Amino acid sequence: MTTPDTPTITRRATRTGVPPLGQYLSEAWRYRTFAVYWSRAEIKSRNFETSLGRLWHFLNPLLFGIIYFIFIGIIAGGGLDNTARLGFIVGNLYAWTYFSTIINTGIGSVHGGGGGVTGQSAIPRVVLPFASTLTAANLFVRSLIAYIPIHILADRGLHWEQLLLPVMVVLTGMFGLGLALLLAVLNVYLRDVSRLVPHFLRLWLYLSPALWGYTRLFDQGLVETIAQLNPMYWGMVAWTFIYGGPLSSERPGLGMALLIFTAWAVATLLIGFFTFISREDEFAVRN
Amino acid sequence: MSLPSATDAIRVSDLCVSYTAVVEEPRDPDHPRRRRTRKRDIQALENVTFNVPKGEAMGLIGGNGAGKSTLLKTIAGILKPTDGQVELWGRPHLLAPGMGFNNKLSGRENVILGGLAAGMAIDEVRDKQDSIIEFADIGGFIDLPVITYSSGMFSRLAFAVATHVNPEILLIDEALSAGDAGFRDKAVAKVKEMCHQAQTILVVSHSSAMVSEMATRALWLHQGNVKMVGEVEAVADAYADFQANQRETAQHDRSIADRR
Repeated sequence: MTTPDTPTITRRATRTGVPPLGQYLSEAWRYRTFAVYWSRAEIKSRNFETSLGRLWHFLNPLLFGIIYFIFIGIIAGGGLDNTARLGFIVGNLYAWTYFSTIINTGIGSVHGGGGGVTGQSAIPRVVLPFASTLTAANLFVRSLIAYIPIHILADRGLHWEQLLLPVMVVLTGMFGLGLALLLAVLNVYLRDVSRLVPHFLRLWLYLSPALWGYTRLFDQGLVETIAQLNPMYWGMVAWTFIYGGPLSSERPGLGMALLIFTAWAVATLLIGFFTFISREDEFAVRN
Repeated sequence: MSLPSATDAIRVSDLCVSYTAVVEEPRDPDHPRRRRTRKRDIQALENVTFNVPKGEAMGLIGGNGAGKSTLLKTIAGILKPTDGQVELWGRPHLLAPGMGFNNKLSGRENVILGGLAAGMAIDEVRDKQDSIIEFADIGGFIDLPVITYSSGMFSRLAFAVATHVNPEILLIDEALSAGDAGFRDKAVAKVKEMCHQAQTILVVSHSSAMVSEMATRALWLHQGNVKMVGEVEAVADAYADFQANQRETAQHDRSIADRR
């Protein structure tokens, strides 16, 4: 039997560190089923040995939302009888939790060595944060089930914008994954990153129109302009529209929010992906 | 060194691998609270060139830090070359027991997860699931979370999953110690069976006897450089002589130091 001249796999040094893209993507695709099973395992192991088990997937976000509702009702005033506010806060918090879970679990999947995957196998490492994104999306869909009775109680109604929910799930997933890839690389060089990220995400939540309506910044001049530099400003405006329709007939519109958030999501994912794959062999040495 | 053959499975040309490690330096006695770290470039492999023809089993021998594991990891695709290249005709599989396992899942679920992580397709894992469980021989524990297993049971299951892959190029790195003495014989027999099935094998071991038993040719690495390539007996003998010389020199140096 003669060996064909062209090898099946060639590994060589590249100037940028980025591996041959076609070969890398086809390898990553080969492990798509592993990503799905890895994600399922991640979800299953979350509530290992708890009495309520899977029920926590619904209880966690529900309790989280109620705590914030009480906190804001007391601290910011406005009372605890405002069901519309409860719906607004809980809905937006679920979207934010989806986004922050992608980042936290994405960094953790690489930082923890992925059950030996980063040090003992040639599985493209991008598969791990991608699997974490699937985990976060799965948990988000479960939290929506917990949200339905609150949506009805808050009388938020049905809107055509709700048809765009899958689009926002994908866009938020892309933006979160891009950031998770960038931060996972940074965390390899500076371990403090994974400790700082939860605090940074909490601050980011308060600075984005998730717990407060975006209409509060109307006619605020420079403050509004600065707030709009935050990609999650546009993300949360879009999520607010999707849950309950527009808060105001004034600007910004859903189309504009979606367009700007899409640009952020695509750019962040591309930058994150190329940075990650150019550095991913470091994970085997440094993890 | 043999010339590249028309039927090579592995061709390594002028391969260099280096990486940067952060090392902690001894504390300055004048400033004992000050932690000092320094980046250190480690040249793990330097201009390594060799080839493994299809159907051949080659052993890698050398002392600690010789670069054996780095070479295997670079061929497997875990590490990237800094210079030079690795060409492969076939898909490599590094025998890595327990890779991809999740301790909170049952043994049965980990068979699926570990099998997929090892590169098997889901249908292939399902087809082999019974055979893997039978080989691991851990009884009713298979349906309990892996976190409840003894280390021996974990090794058995992990090894059973890792050795049910049919690779074109099999890479083995000191992975033959699995479970208790009874299972170890079974494990060695299974690896030998894998070696018969695989088209090409590269095996790393500190034990020259193990390499001699499994390989026909050997490559001796010393401090990241190829010291010798050839028939396994000749290389193993040369390596044994080198080790004996090293021991003699060390003993000689110690006796001079003692006299002083």
